[in-house]
Amino acid sequence: MKGWYYQLKNSCHDKLCLLAFFLPILTGALISGLTEADFSSVQEISFYVVENMLPSDTIALLESYGNITVFPDISSMEQAVNNPSTQGIGILQKGDSIQTLLSGDELTLYSVVGDTLPSLLSAQDMQVSPLVTVLPSESSANTLLSLLNAIVIFTAMFMGCTFNAMSIIGEKEDGISLINEVLPMTKADYFLQKIMLGLAGGILSSLLTALVCFPVTSEKLLPLLLLILLSTLSASVIGLIIGTCCTGLMSAITSTKLVMILLLAPPIFFYLVIDQNHLLFKFSYLLPSSAAFYGLIGLFQGNTAGNGFYLFILTFHCLLLLILFVRLPRRK
Amino acid sequence: MKHLFSALIIKEFQLMIAGRFLLLFFVSLLLYSCYINFIYVRIDQDAYPVYLYDPEGRLTVHSSELLFLDQQEQLQEKLKDGYGIAIDASGEAVTFMLVSSGSGKTDSYRAAYAESLLAGTHDKQAIRIGAFTKESKSRREITCEFLFFELTAVGFLGIASLLFKEKKMGMFRLHSILPVRTVSIVLSKVFLFLVADLLFAVFFTLINLGFYDGLSVLPGLLLQVLILSLIMSLAGFCCALILSDFKQFSLFYLVLATFITTPVFLAGQTGLDWGFIQYHPMYHLFLALKGACFQTLSLSVFYFPVWICVIGILATLACRLLHREMTKGGTL
Repeated sequence: MKGWYYQLKNSCHDKLCLLAFFLPILTGALISGLTEADFSSVQEISFYVVENMLPSDTIALLESYGNITVFPDISSMEQAVNNPSTQGIGILQKGDSIQTLLSGDELTLYSVVGDTLPSLLSAQDMQVSPLVTVLPSESSANTLLSLLNAIVIFTAMFMGCTFNAMSIIGEKEDGISLINEVLPMTKADYFLQKIMLGLAGGILSSLLTALVCFPVTSEKLLPLLLLILLSTLSASVIGLIIGTCCTGLMSAITSTKLVMILLLAPPIFFYLVIDQNHLLFKFSYLLPSSAAFYGLIGLFQGNTAGNGFYLFILTFHCLLLLILFVRLPRRK
Repeated sequence: MKHLFSALIIKEFQLMIAGRFLLLFFVSLLLYSCYINFIYVRIDQDAYPVYLYDPEGRLTVHSSELLFLDQQEQLQEKLKDGYGIAIDASGEAVTFMLVSSGSGKTDSYRAAYAESLLAGTHDKQAIRIGAFTKESKSRREITCEFLFFELTAVGFLGIASLLFKEKKMGMFRLHSILPVRTVSIVLSKVFLFLVADLLFAVFFTLINLGFYDGLSVLPGLLLQVLILSLIMSLAGFCCALILSDFKQFSLFYLVLATFITTPVFLAGQTGLDWGFIQYHPMYHLFLALKGACFQTLSLSVFYFPVWICVIGILATLACRLLHREMTKGGTL
C-alpha cells in the first residue's frame, strides 16, 4: 500500500502524467460547452442561393430541407460550391424550375441530393403531402456531437497507456529506476503498482469525462464501468510494454504517438465506413480498442445488446497483453 | 568556415540517425499512406435507402433506386439503422416511416426524397463545375491534413529533442570554446529539419496524389512547407532553450497540439463557422497549404512579408537564446 502511495506521489509531481489525466476531462467539458447548433449546420444540407434570384416559395421549400446561404453574385456562389471543405449545393433559377450546381467532389449523398432536387421540388408543387411518421431516435442527442463525446471518452479510456509509458520513461530519465533497483521491492511489485496506478488514473479520468460528456443512467452504469475497467487495464499494460521497451523520452513519445493512432483511429473509421456485417469489420476486433469503442457507441445509442461480446473480447485482449508483458522482461 | 558548417551538418545528421528519426520518417510515411489508400479514400456517405412494402402492387413504381421488401416486419428491421426510409403501402393510406436524424429539416428532406422516388427515376440533373472527383479531392484533403499535423510536430519536437540531448552531453559548453558562430549552429539544425520536412512532403505527396498530380502540386506546396517548417523548427528551437527539460517541452507541445493546431484543423476542414479563427496565425498557414494542395492558392500581398518577418524575428531570438545558453555553459 505504501508503494502505491509513493507511486501516486511521484505521478502527481509529473506534469505530463497530470496532463494525460486532465486533458480528456477538459476537452470533454469544452465539447459539452459547444451547442448542438454549432454542429447542426455541418450535418444539415446546405443550399447556396444568389440574392433575389429565386421566388419566395422555392426559398421557403429549401429552408424546410436545409440551411440557406445567400451570395451577392453567381461567381461567389460558384466559389463556395467549389470549396472542398463544404458539401453545399448551388441553386439557380432556370425557367419555371431550378438548376442545381455541384462541384463534383461531394459524398454520394450530396451528389444525389443535387441531382434529384429539381424534380423533388417540382413534385412538391403538385402532390399533397403524404402521411409521414417520424419515429424518435433511440439516442436523442445530436449524432455528430454524440460521436465527438464518445471519441473523447474513448481517448480517456486509453490515456492510461500514455500515463504509464511517460511515468516509467520519466523515472528512467531521472534515474529513479536505478534507485528502484536497490530498494527492497521486486519487479513484479513495481509493475503491479504501475498497473494499478494507470488503472486507477485511467478509470477516474474516463469516468469523470463520461460524467461531463453524457448523462449516465443507472442501467448504463455497470456496462460503462466494465468497459472502462477492461479498456483501461489493456491500455495500462500497453503503456508498461512501451515504457519497458523504450530507452529515451523521444522514442517513447514517438512510440506512444504511433500506438495511440493505431489504437484510436481504426475503430472510429471502421465504425463510420464499413458495414458491421463485413468481414473487414470483424478484423477490427484484433485491436482491443475496437470492442471498447463499439461498446461505448452502443451505450450512447441506448443499445446494450452486444455488450457481453465486447466485454469478452476486451477480457481476452487484457489476458493476451498481460501474458505478453510477463514474457517480455524474461526475453530481455 | 564552409568546412565547419558541413561538419556541423554531419554531426546533426548523425544525431538525427541516433534519435531514430529516419525510422520515424519511414514508419510515418508508410502508416499514413496505408491509411489514406486503404481507408480514407473509401469513406463515403450513401444516399438514403428507401424501402417499399407493397404486397398488392398498388403503386406504379418507375424508380430503380427503391428497394422492395416482402414482409412488413422487414420495414421495422431496416429502419433500425436510423438512416433509411420505409414506405408502407399495405394499408389504406401509404405511410412513410423514418427514424429521426435529430434535425427536423433533414427529416423533411428524407421524406420528400422518398416521395420523389415513388414519382419516378431521376437523371443526373446537376451541373458539375468543380475540377476534382471525390477521390482526388479526398486525396488532396487528407494529404494537406497529414502534412500540416506532421510538419507542426516533427520540426518542433525533433529539434528540441536534439537540443536537449546536446544540453545533456555538454555540447553547448564545447561549442562555446570552439570557433563556431551561433548562427551556424542554428542554421545547421534548422537546415537539416527543413530538408527532412521537404523530403517528407515530396514523398508523401507523390505517393498519395499520384506522380503527375503530385508533380503539378509540388512547387506551390513546397513553398508553404518551407515556411511552416522554418517557423516550427525555429519555434521549437526557442522553446527548447527557454524550457528546462524535454518533459516540460512535450507538455507544452501537447497543449499546443490540442488547443492551437486542432481548432485550426476543425475550422479549415469541416467548415464550422468560427469567426475568431481569422485571428489565428496558423489558420492562414493551413489555408495556404490547403490552397496549394488544391491549386487554388490566392494569398494576400502581406502573406509573404509577414511570414518572412516572423521567421527573421524567430531566427534572431533563437541566436540570442543560444548565445545566452552558451554563456551559461562556460567561457563565452
